[in-house]
Amino acid sequence: MIKEVHETVLWHLGSMTFHGKTLIMTWISMALVMIFVFAGVRNLTSGKPGKMQNVLEWIIDFVRGIINDNMEYEKGRPLLSYLVTLFMFVFFSNMLGLIPNFTFNLLHDVHFAQLGHIFSGPSMMSPTADINTTLSLALLTIILVVFLGIKHKGAHYFHHFVEPNPVFVVIHAIDLIAKPMTLAFRLFGNIFAGEILLGVILMLPGIWVLPGILPTTIWLAFSIFIGAIQSYVFVVLTTAYVSQAVTSDAH
Amino acid sequence: MGGNPIQFDYTVPATVLSFLLLVWLLSKYAWKPLMKMMEERRTNIESMLKQAEDERQQADKIKREYQEEMRKARQEAQEVIAKATKVSEVRSAEILAAAHEESEKIKKSALVDIERERDRAISDVKAQVADLSVLVAEKIIKQKLDIKGQGKLIEQFIQEVGEMQ
Repeated sequence: MIKEVHETVLWHLGSMTFHGKTLIMTWISMALVMIFVFAGVRNLTSGKPGKMQNVLEWIIDFVRGIINDNMEYEKGRPLLSYLVTLFMFVFFSNMLGLIPNFTFNLLHDVHFAQLGHIFSGPSMMSPTADINTTLSLALLTIILVVFLGIKHKGAHYFHHFVEPNPVFVVIHAIDLIAKPMTLAFRLFGNIFAGEILLGVILMLPGIWVLPGILPTTIWLAFSIFIGAIQSYVFVVLTTAYVSQAVTSDAH
Repeated sequence: MGGNPIQFDYTVPATVLSFLLLVWLLSKYAWKPLMKMMEERRTNIESMLKQAEDERQQADKIKREYQEEMRKARQEAQEVIAKATKVSEVRSAEILAAAHEESEKIKKSALVDIERERDRAISDVKAQVADLSVLVAEKIIKQKLDIKGQGKLIEQFIQEVGEMQ
């Protein structure tokens, strides 16, 4: 039996529970994103950009290209900041689970916020390997979709729920709910499965450790690929859903 | 908690808030300035391209002007040379004509001189012949005038002297 790779660490606040490990890893990812980005914008120049600024500009151009492909750029431009942040956050989150745990059990006896439990195990954890994180991002996407739909079309936005017949409102409602659900489960599934397999390879018993280096390397490389693809897919789908909502229907 | 990885709790709102905070922070302190810079660079490049285009056109204009001036200068030089050539031709013709005239004049005066000298020489000779014939006549007459029969000879002699004149 494969046990769950990441032991769920619960924080209790009143009657509310939080996945402590997920939140800590989320914040670590955010910190990494911020370090990366602020290192890039430290010496901003409109002249010859530095290496980091160049990377950031490339990312912005990349996301801008995605928006351009899906809708009129003017409607999508307010989304740019959000989408770039989303792209970087998801990417860094996906990568975090591939990084070995460098705390060497030093925090093992720290009971504050159960940090000892959080930093146990052979590697860090991707916040995106928790359905809560991916669902949060997917919820934000669907809120954006509805919000921008209303903003650009007014009450007319709700009109498409009863097209071509009021009976179809059920199907449209399912569609509206299925969109964030598929987003959330796709990302979660990919990353979670990747981490499980990584954990399994790392759990190989003694004699297999050395031969295990090769599959670990291969799987890490593949996970990097998967992580990059999934962050791209998440951003592209978010853009596509928004563009469906904001562009006037042809039918 | 069992093996079920799909459990929802208050992590969702916590993550939403965290993520929104990240979006706000990054867009305020990173993306906005960065995009402003990119836009600035775009306009910079645009204006530079425009400036370069303007300068190219100006350079073209200056080049055309120079070519025009060059052409004019060359034409003028051609005209000057042509004029100078014409003047020199006229002048040389004049000089030649003058020289010709002069030589003609000199020749004529020389001919006149020669004529005069010859006339003088002839008249001199005539005078001398006359003198000589008078002298000869005197001598002959002195010696043989008395001799009869010589009259005819004297007569002929005198006639011959007369023909010589």
